[in-house]
Amino acid sequence: MSGRIDRVALLAVPGLAYLAVIYALPLLMLLAKSIQTAEGISFSEYRAFFADDYNIRVLLRTLRVAALTTLLALIFAYPTAFVMSRAKGPWLTVFLVAMVLPMSLGVVVKAFAWSILFRANGFINSSLQWIGLTEKPVRMLFTETALVVGAANVFLPFMVLPIYAVVRQMDRALPEAAASLGAGPFFRFFNVTLPLTLPGVVAGSAFTFSMAISMYVIPSLIVGERQQTLSMLIARSFLYLRNEPLGSTISAVLLGIAIFVVVFSSWLARRLGARS
Amino acid sequence: MALDQAKPTSRYLEAWGIGKSFKGTRVMSDLNFRVDRGELVSLLGPSGCGKSTLLRIIAGLLEGDEGSVVLGGRNITRFPAHKRNVSVVFQNYALFPHLTVAENVAFGLRARGVAKRATGAPVAEALSLVRMSEFADRPTAALSGGQQQRVAVARALVVGPDLLLLDEPFSALDRKLRETMQVELKSLLLDRGITAIFVTHDQEEAMGVSDRIAVMNAGRIEQFADPSTLYARPATPFVMDFVGLSTRIVGTVTSRDGEVITAETPFGLLKARSAAPAGARVLLGVRPELIEVGAGENTISSTLADVMVLGAKTVLHGTAEGEDRVLCELSGIRSGFARGQEITLGWKIEDTLAYEVPA
Repeated sequence: MSGRIDRVALLAVPGLAYLAVIYALPLLMLLAKSIQTAEGISFSEYRAFFADDYNIRVLLRTLRVAALTTLLALIFAYPTAFVMSRAKGPWLTVFLVAMVLPMSLGVVVKAFAWSILFRANGFINSSLQWIGLTEKPVRMLFTETALVVGAANVFLPFMVLPIYAVVRQMDRALPEAAASLGAGPFFRFFNVTLPLTLPGVVAGSAFTFSMAISMYVIPSLIVGERQQTLSMLIARSFLYLRNEPLGSTISAVLLGIAIFVVVFSSWLARRLGARS
Repeated sequence: MALDQAKPTSRYLEAWGIGKSFKGTRVMSDLNFRVDRGELVSLLGPSGCGKSTLLRIIAGLLEGDEGSVVLGGRNITRFPAHKRNVSVVFQNYALFPHLTVAENVAFGLRARGVAKRATGAPVAEALSLVRMSEFADRPTAALSGGQQQRVAVARALVVGPDLLLLDEPFSALDRKLRETMQVELKSLLLDRGITAIFVTHDQEEAMGVSDRIAVMNAGRIEQFADPSTLYARPATPFVMDFVGLSTRIVGTVTSRDGEVITAETPFGLLKARSAAPAGARVLLGVRPELIEVGAGENTISSTLADVMVLGAKTVLHGTAEGEDRVLCELSGIRSGFARGQEITLGWKIEDTLAYEVPA
């Protein structure tokens, strides 16, 4: 059968060509800049990047913010996915629209709306002062907490939908079987429901984490220049410092983290999947 | 109505006054159901008759709106499922896909706080009971339907349940395997003295596995009796139709002589034992294997519409006038019958079932 071409596989050609020219090629050209120096190919840019304490702080902050954002989104998304999996007819539509609609609103609009909520004389502070919890306005805008809360909101759908897909597929008889075998609510959750929905949690966390480490608009609008993230460093290198080797080096670091997350999560998902 | 044959011995499981509505639709009201210790009982009926609802209420997977469930003297009505010690074997077996066969069987013990090390012996015993020992470390996805069912049974029994509930346990198996599994499971339950309730829509299965059968229809128990009574003396036309085949003939009572009525039917005058008064509409029924070719106490002439030689039996479909059909089963292979042939069929008065029906 040699020489015979799978005709269905041909359908992938336009997509692959598009990805090669628009995605892979420019990315490789950009990454190449990080090791091209005046003295030829060298990793001096990487050494310089990791030698600078400031860069390490930004890197750690980026990872911390992404991890906390993922965790917060997970806390809100997990129960939501269960409620959604039980919703029927018009209620399911309401849920899905509520998930998808805010994505089309755009982050900029959302971020400005939050700043109204979070600022010194904003709604939250007025409420806190009115109840008497604080006397002075609490600083919320331009803090990491505000960034995590805001980012978790933006990425929530990417956490909910994969978990929802897994929960919906789960056989409803399984928790019932567990109950009839004498398992109380906690035992049921930790030994049946959670392990069976873990693949959805892994997928949702991988999505959310990879988007959160590379977010630019949300931190720029909520915390501004005071607390940089990797993406902001990249933008600054290219736009203000005109330092292409530095920008592409940080890009490569970010890409490396993203690749690690994707590979690790698919390994984890396969391992979990192999058991079920 | 409900022909309850329960002996006043140990009423082990007692569900009484059970009522349930779904979204304002009443599906069950004032249902009473009793099972003795060690009995194998079936809930038999068409889909939507309420048999699964009753099973789920007994298991605690569904809350009844009214009524009580008492098991072994304990009122468990308000107990959640995990505190009832009632094991359920589900229709699709509901094995945990993320656990191995042995881990599935150990689940109930672990849930009861038994240490992992201590589950080994009882799990091994339960698996050998269902002849699945060599599959202990396999994932459940690799098992066939019959093997999955065995694991589900082992998992349900290893915890020593006070009551075992089985929801259509054989419906996912092919016919041959189903019969094997029925025999296997029945002797397993009888040997261990397990009290069990099967839910099924298959009358042969119900008759094969149970001491008594509750035939359910529209949320009520129409008759609760042993298989032979159910078959020979169905309490209602519904039970007659649902349990076994029968010829149905509708007629009007013309006269009565003691306990025996004579009814005018499309097949002529037929006699039966009944309390129906003269002028009443009656439904007469005869089991096909009780009809003989030739004369009897009740006799009809019929044209053979079809002859089917099935090996173990030969089935004759006879027509009279109009739509009415008569079904006759003769044992073994019989020759000498042909379509269109005129034959005389007869049966005994005492084999004629009779029900007064609304005019």
